[in-house]
Amino acid sequence: MAKRSCIFGVAGMVWVVLTLTAIAYATRLALVVAPTEATMGNVQRIFYYHVPTSMLSLLFPYVNFMASLFYLYWRRRDPLRALTADAVAISAAEVTVVYSSICLLTGMLWGRAAWGIWWTWDARLTSMLLLWLLYVSYLMLRKLSSTGQTQTLAAVLSVFAAIDVPIVYMSIQWWRTQHPAPVFGGGADSGIDPSMMPAFVWNVVGWAMWGIFLLLYRYGLERRRQESEQASALRAIEGTLEIAQ
Amino acid sequence: MSRVGSELRDELRALRSYFGHVICHLQKDLRLEWRSRESVVGMLFFALLVVIIFSLAFDPTAAVSRQIAGGILWVALLFASFTALNQSWTREQRNRVLEAHRMSPAPASALFLGKALANLLFVTLVELVLAPFFLIFYNLHALGQGWMLLAVLPLGTWALVCNGTFFAALSLRTRNRELMLPLIMVPVSLPALLGMMSATTAILTGESDPALWVRLLVAYNIIFTLVCLLLFETVLSAE
Amino acid sequence: MKLSWMFGSSMEAHHLLASYIIVWLVQGGYAAWIAWQWRRTGKELQPDPADLSPRDEDA
Repeated sequence: MAKRSCIFGVAGMVWVVLTLTAIAYATRLALVVAPTEATMGNVQRIFYYHVPTSMLSLLFPYVNFMASLFYLYWRRRDPLRALTADAVAISAAEVTVVYSSICLLTGMLWGRAAWGIWWTWDARLTSMLLLWLLYVSYLMLRKLSSTGQTQTLAAVLSVFAAIDVPIVYMSIQWWRTQHPAPVFGGGADSGIDPSMMPAFVWNVVGWAMWGIFLLLYRYGLERRRQESEQASALRAIEGTLEIAQ
Repeated sequence: MSRVGSELRDELRALRSYFGHVICHLQKDLRLEWRSRESVVGMLFFALLVVIIFSLAFDPTAAVSRQIAGGILWVALLFASFTALNQSWTREQRNRVLEAHRMSPAPASALFLGKALANLLFVTLVELVLAPFFLIFYNLHALGQGWMLLAVLPLGTWALVCNGTFFAALSLRTRNRELMLPLIMVPVSLPALLGMMSATTAILTGESDPALWVRLLVAYNIIFTLVCLLLFETVLSAE
Repeated sequence: MKLSWMFGSSMEAHHLLASYIIVWLVQGGYAAWIAWQWRRTGKELQPDPADLSPRDEDA
């Protein structure tokens, strides 16, 4: 057991070092090497952090969804495995909230610099806000429900949230085609100049690696917490079993 | 052939008994509500107050009223339904009725469906009483196809009530029930809310086509009703 | 902070710098929170010293 955790520890450190290197390299590419954009100027460099983060923030909800489905499936059949799935679910939800928060914050700063407004209810920002809201509500449910049921209720909510994400996206798009409003920046859709690709790709790689690191680290923490809960529950039970001499 | 026939007959019998359960739960809720009438009356007054507050807040002209009345209607109904939804489940917690439900062999989704239908009737009743007030306070008359409101209102109400009943059952086991229900229900229901508000506004102002939103509401209702029916058993026996 | 030697206008520079710093703060902050919770849970997992020493029930 100790040897296994040793290997994990070393592998983890190696991954962290590689990730930080990738991010550092990507940041350098974004800030220094990538050419200045013709129309938007240097503010466009925010996109090298903003767009990869938004792309990744759409991935983690589905990790949460799959984990929740596995939890619901294993709940009665194999409770120990179900706990693993639950740990993945909460980690993915928290990472989703972190990534979508960053997407919103960087988007707002870019908008302020480029257009002078902090916010607009355009399709992309509104959808991202609703995604953020969905997973914050998931985290709130986990926090505020009574223990023993938290995991099942959260898994159920996760199913609803995951099904809702594409519906939210489509409905907001339709809303904005019916009532067009100024769009906050073309971003990746309007085509990236090949000279900007290295910076963009390296940022995607770097932040994806970081996301995986966060997911695994948070998963490890959740497993530790589960272990500690089980240990204290066991201690409590043993306490009641002590026979008075 | 006769084996297929008897299997078919068994299925039909099961289906009839399922709907029998649903009707049973529905009747129970209607009877309970009829005796106290607190849910419907409470909802009605709450919605009315919301309407009045918005009028004071915006003091709309006739043209502006048509733009905002759709949104105000659904906001009023949404907030009014929160109390009613929570109450419909606390009713089951008295005298440990919920435990009895959990232990009975009757399908759990029948309980959910019965309760959701009952809530649908209550909210529809509130809408019917509220509608004349709306027309009066905002001097409304629909510039678009008014008859489409007859489609939009039930669809929108079902979206609210179906998700609402489900999430009220979910939030029954949380530490702060009244806070949890809106917190988990509204984000999931946002596309439906957008749909009902946009459709109502489109019909009232006549400026755009509500058909798209009606289709969204239909699709949303089908998807989420199925999901609610499938997952209710899990929520009921969440221990 | 004058970054206009590096970029064009000063407002652009500030927003660009602020957004990058915010990203590092949020990501780093979350990782730090996990690390802090990790250490806290570790303390709970260690056996309680009171359980180890023999207790005399009859005393």
